[in-house]
Amino acid sequence: MEEMKPMTCADAMRQFFAYLDRALAGESLEALESHLEECLACCDKLAFSRQLDEFAKTRVREAPLPPDLEERIRQALDRA
Amino acid sequence: MGGGRGSEGGLALDPEARQRFEELALPHLASVYRLAVRLTGSPQDAEDLAQETYLKAMRAFSGLREPERVRPWLFQILNRLVLDRHRGGSREVAVGDLEELDRFSLYELIRDEDPFPYSDRLHEDFLAQFDDEEVRRALLALPEAYRLPLLLLYVEELSYKELAEVLGCPVGTVMSRLHRGRKILERELWECAKRRGLVKTWKR
Repeated sequence: MEEMKPMTCADAMRQFFAYLDRALAGESLEALESHLEECLACCDKLAFSRQLDEFAKTRVREAPLPPDLEERIRQALDRA
Repeated sequence: MGGGRGSEGGLALDPEARQRFEELALPHLASVYRLAVRLTGSPQDAEDLAQETYLKAMRAFSGLREPERVRPWLFQILNRLVLDRHRGGSREVAVGDLEELDRFSLYELIRDEDPFPYSDRLHEDFLAQFDDEEVRRALLALPEAYRLPLLLLYVEELSYKELAEVLGCPVGTVMSRLHRGRKILERELWECAKRRGLVKTWKR
């Protein structure tokens, strides 16, 4: 017997990023979680989305502050 | 000379307010600079932009009603400066058809193309082919409406509420921009893989 799914895979996919960003709550969160419990394909896609996010994040986080920039900005503020 | 006015016409702050400005705003310099690097793609441009952001912020400081909101406020100023600078000359990719974009799935393309037939970690191996610069360039190519929210999320981990504040739009808009921004990033990575011959050439 096939059970009626309250959420389609396409609907689920639209919520993945909000889910990863912890921005889903209440009914939307429940609906997605119950879809994920039944849908392995979506679990795999979600895992890839998470992987891609981490992959991109680690490539943009590193940008060390030039050591004298703060001092140069203070001086510019003095001159303004 | 200048009668208490800053060199560009803004009212100069009294020493007490100036000190308060520095105490509140300068601790966020690392964040402002990091975001500037990612938005411009160039450390040199980012330094200029960070300095300009602080000059502008100091001039506007008396208008900042909630000092605890100083960080998103600085991002907002930085964003406006970036927009003014890049208006016109842009290397942004086109968004294209939105419904098509919403359906785009890098996961499925990799699975279907199977660029590494002997791999049991196909998707990870695919991502591992890109160097850091390629990923940064793909992010830089995002249209501005998508680039800023995604970078603020990735680099500074802003919440949806904070993003809505910086962008001046409802949370629902933030959500759809973050979704589509990531889809465009996926699409750019796929295009990059095609250009590099990572896909198709593997198929017999």
